[in-house]
Amino acid sequence: MSITMQRLNLTHPLHFVIGLTLWCIWFVAVYGGHAVACSVAPPAPEQGVFTLVNVMLLAVSIAAIALLAALTVGCCRMAKRHEGRLRFNATVSAGLYLFSTLGVVFAAMPIMGIPPCL
Amino acid sequence: MTTINREATPEGDNIKGPNQLHNDLHDIWGNPRGLKALTIVNHTTLGLRFMVTGMVFFLIGGLLAMLVRTQLALPDQDFMSPDIYSQVTTMHGTVMMFLFAIPMLEGLAIYMIPKMIGARDLVCPRLTSLGYWCYLFGGIILSFSLVLEMAPDSGWFMYTPLSSSEYSPGLGSDFWLLGITFVEISALSAGVELVVSILRTRTQGMALHKMPLFAWYILAMALMIVVGFPPLILGSILLELERAVGMPFFEVAGGGDPILWQHLFWLFGHPEVYIIFLPAAGIVSTLIPVFAGRPIVGYGWVVFAITVTGFISFGLWVHHMFTVGIPQLAQAFFSAASMLVAVPTAIQVFVWLATLWLGKPKMKLPMLWIVGFLIIFVCGGLTGVMLALVPFNWQVHDTHFVVAHMHYVLVGGMFFPLIAGLYYWLPLFSGRMPSETLGKWGFWLTFLGFNGTFLIMHWTGLLGMPRRVYSYETGMGWDIFNLLSSMSSFIMSAGIAMVLLDFALHFRFGKPAKHNPWNADTLEWANSMPPSAYNFVSLPKIETRHPLWDDPNLPRTMAEGQHSLAVATHGRREMWGTDPLTGKVREIIHLPGNSWWPLFAAMALAVVCVSLLTRLYPLAGIAVVVAGLFLLRWSWENGAHPKAAPDAEVAPGDPPLHSRTMDGPGLWAMSITLLANGSFFLSYLFGWFYLWTVSPEWRMPETSPLSLVGLILAGVALTAGVVILEKLVRGLRQGKDAGLAVGMYSISALGFVQVAVTLWVLLSADLAVTETSHDAIIMVGLAYALLHGGLGAVLTLLQGLRVGYGFVGAHAPFEPAVVAQWWRYNLVTFWILVGALAVLPRVIGS
Repeated sequence: MSITMQRLNLTHPLHFVIGLTLWCIWFVAVYGGHAVACSVAPPAPEQGVFTLVNVMLLAVSIAAIALLAALTVGCCRMAKRHEGRLRFNATVSAGLYLFSTLGVVFAAMPIMGIPPCL
Repeated sequence: MTTINREATPEGDNIKGPNQLHNDLHDIWGNPRGLKALTIVNHTTLGLRFMVTGMVFFLIGGLLAMLVRTQLALPDQDFMSPDIYSQVTTMHGTVMMFLFAIPMLEGLAIYMIPKMIGARDLVCPRLTSLGYWCYLFGGIILSFSLVLEMAPDSGWFMYTPLSSSEYSPGLGSDFWLLGITFVEISALSAGVELVVSILRTRTQGMALHKMPLFAWYILAMALMIVVGFPPLILGSILLELERAVGMPFFEVAGGGDPILWQHLFWLFGHPEVYIIFLPAAGIVSTLIPVFAGRPIVGYGWVVFAITVTGFISFGLWVHHMFTVGIPQLAQAFFSAASMLVAVPTAIQVFVWLATLWLGKPKMKLPMLWIVGFLIIFVCGGLTGVMLALVPFNWQVHDTHFVVAHMHYVLVGGMFFPLIAGLYYWLPLFSGRMPSETLGKWGFWLTFLGFNGTFLIMHWTGLLGMPRRVYSYETGMGWDIFNLLSSMSSFIMSAGIAMVLLDFALHFRFGKPAKHNPWNADTLEWANSMPPSAYNFVSLPKIETRHPLWDDPNLPRTMAEGQHSLAVATHGRREMWGTDPLTGKVREIIHLPGNSWWPLFAAMALAVVCVSLLTRLYPLAGIAVVVAGLFLLRWSWENGAHPKAAPDAEVAPGDPPLHSRTMDGPGLWAMSITLLANGSFFLSYLFGWFYLWTVSPEWRMPETSPLSLVGLILAGVALTAGVVILEKLVRGLRQGKDAGLAVGMYSISALGFVQVAVTLWVLLSADLAVTETSHDAIIMVGLAYALLHGGLGAVLTLLQGLRVGYGFVGAHAPFEPAVVAQWWRYNLVTFWILVGALAVLPRVIGS
């Protein structure tokens, strides 16, 4: 895990945009996936939220949350190890990864409460 | 990597006095007069031209707003006919959004960014010039539709089918689609060069975390333009093709879907709001520390907030479409994302308040407008959160509440900071101070008039008055509110007129400004007032976020030539090319001088625009070729060309010229351009899959009409071209250029093979492009591939010729690396197209 984090070079400012890019990809995936699922195999309305569509969307969301949370922790650790420019980069990246993580949590919450395709 | 650790370049040049250095630099950078003033590429002049032109369009847009308010002042008015009213409201929104807000802020960025980051110009000066001319010509063409009473009348968002030929048979929609696309060339060109300039031309030592916050905001805005505008360009092309040729992209009967237009429009339209807001917030983040007399609280938080805003704003577009019948779960995603975007905005507001709280604010004229901004924008943000809630959104959809919210966000979020910024930088523009008295009158009239107009409009909307209706009956309970709104709007106009009068008068009657009159911290105030064409005699090493606070003598030492690149004997326009992260010097960037080519290319494009409007397609085709020739001739005068930098000699210890390296700014400009291109391509793929999955009457044949064998053959030719090109570029990196010209010609031939085979596939498919959207969208995809293949082949052919002329080779290896990027992009998109258009339909079936 720590070797992987080292390879990711978490003090590089590219990480300013990676977390939110992942958020965008997740967002497009759940919105697009929902649209395609509703077009191809819409579940019966009586099923409520207990549908395969909701399960799949939730699974994708949990995976995104796990990935983003891990990157948040990695950036926090890197920030503690450096000073100056590298610390600035890692701190801002950590904040952005954290926001992206919470962004997925917040925007994914309706998956647990609203039936799809209605 | 080359780094420069010294205070000044050649000692011989430092012997010269400041006046001699100024004269030498002026000879190289100075602007010509008379007719040749049309060739100017200097960022200071072009930034001012952008802003002055933007203000003219603002006056036109404002006049249209007054006509609207006059019409709505009383019930049952017949001041305007419904048709004219629709044209006036459409053009008000269009002019304000496309011809005022964005170009104005881009103009400010074009003017300010090089000065703030310690550069002498933007990195692609001719592109600045092309952008200005495209903006001017596009704006004139679009505005001319008003004079002809042919203006677009379907709303500034041009929803289909209202804007389609069935319901808008005149030329109005065509004026909008072609004019706006023309203007968007300007926005995109400014976006590309602002990104590259900020990343690659900051002065020595200005690492990313020491960059002025305004540059961060403009970087985000420029990247958002690059990614956000292409969906609208695609939408405009598709709608114009539907109107002109009959390709049914948005027509249900032909397998299209009008909702696709809404998606493409708002994919652009919502980020657009933040494209306008971010630079304005950049002005606020620049001014508040200056007037509070202390550094901003939480620089890192602001960078965080800018980045979040830039991204999240692309995930909100569907909140403009909550009433079109989208499933509840999808609405919930967008509702949540719409609420999320309030977080970074709130962070910025708290940062600004904390900075004021901890500093000693001086309530000068610019600060008055900043305070007005804070009040109005926070209110607009709160109604924005209300509108993010789906049930509330349904209730007030299409009412004046939305109009009021939009104006609170846009006028509060853009206009007030803009005026604050203009007042702040006026002494830099002119060397004179504005009138506090006129300015305060202007502010209070504008502030009170604005709130009188739009605060009241919230209630009109909550009482159910729909937007876009040209009149209303008395007795609906809207009379008094509309009258008050209209009266207040005239008060607001009087305030704005006073501000503009102050601006105009100060050039003649304003008190001469002392140097750095607000005691600011950023480098633009190290310029002379008004600034010279080259900005700085010498370029300093910057190691702090507040260079002028930490070293008040810096403007003097810079003007005396005590820092770097204070040399002009070579006759080149030069500045540093630096590492985007650390600010260490990498190379010397040499810039092109004044040129007719941008103007000529823009004129040819204007002919394309007008001939498409008038349906003179052969003329449009000729003009496209002519524009292409002008642009290619422009590209010819680069690198080692006699008009660029034939002599690569630099002072001892200086890094090489960028055209003699493998990593000049052109490489970055191409990358950013391809980012925009990629956004266009993804929008196209979105359209293809959207129609395939959602369109109610989508018709796909059982077997794909495209020859898979043909496409694979074309792809093989393209792949072979890329492989050879990569090998040649690798050789150039190692200083080897044997067989370069032959290699380039061979690659070009492979490119033409790809084009020929793709064309054969297209023609042999026998597509019924006016009958089904399926065939029409395939046609657009293949046309995209043809255009990219053709351009790649021509560019490589030119590279072969340039090798022959000695402009490209081991001594000047830069350009093939730039062309290689185009080929790589072409390779990736071509194979994706093959997969999406020819393979997937065969695998999945219709």
